[in-house]
Amino acid sequence: MAVLGNKKSKVSDEIPSSSMADIAFLLLIFFLVTTTFPKDKGLQLVLPEQGETQEVSANNVLHILVQPTGQVGVRRGESQQEQQVRADALTSIWRQAVGENPSLIASVNTHPDAPYRLMMDVLDALQAAGADRISLNLLEE
Amino acid sequence: MGVRSGGLQRKSKAATEIPSSSMADIAFLLLIFFMVSTVFQSDKNRDIEWAQAQAIEKIDKKQKDILNVWVERTGAVYMNDVQFPMDEVADVVFPISVANRELVVSIRSDRNTPYHFIDQLQKELQAAGALKVMFAAELENTMTRQRR
Repeated sequence: MAVLGNKKSKVSDEIPSSSMADIAFLLLIFFLVTTTFPKDKGLQLVLPEQGETQEVSANNVLHILVQPTGQVGVRRGESQQEQQVRADALTSIWRQAVGENPSLIASVNTHPDAPYRLMMDVLDALQAAGADRISLNLLEE
Repeated sequence: MGVRSGGLQRKSKAATEIPSSSMADIAFLLLIFFMVSTVFQSDKNRDIEWAQAQAIEKIDKKQKDILNVWVERTGAVYMNDVQFPMDEVADVVFPISVANRELVVSIRSDRNTPYHFIDQLQKELQAAGALKVMFAAELENTMTRQRR
């Protein structure tokens, strides 16, 4: 009994330092693996080159008018009729319109005083529908 | 003699195992080295509220191929923490876009910026030949809006 007690107290005398290395390496590897650098996220677009203007038939243009109040108007081709829609609804409108006319171009005309986010909502809806022919313009009165 | 032999025995005992107590120091040194040498995005965040979008993509470019252009609500333009007047943006971006054909300009603007500033910026970028742009946005919470 006395011998056993002696041994026990000898062992618990010092903190085992050999496992410290393992703990430190574990931490090192944990941080190496879990570190993710935030990637930039956003809507990508390629602007046309400067001075590059293309004549497009009026029938191939879907005009989208963004007003500062948040109203979004859609005008198809040459018709003067303007249809008021929500920005979300543009996804289905674009899908339907491009199904009828594959060479359709979306022309997003934003009012100079409209907040940026309204244009983003429209652009988002168009890109969600897979639109890649998008032209961004200022709305002229 | 007896004392000496005891000393010898102790010495040989110590030499049989590799000292593992310093391993922790080495590991912590490495940990601290990596923590200190890691460089995060160099320009500081401006006071902007992100625009939100759902169709966002992650941009798979190296940090050196991305030029961040910050546009504040007032129309102030910042690149690399330096403010530039709007009509000088083309002059500043042109040499960068010529040197790096892969350049993507990340437009980081407040959601309430009047659109004519963004339009002006686009015209400046077109003049500079930097045609690949990205409108930076954060992912819209789908709970707040009905999913399309």
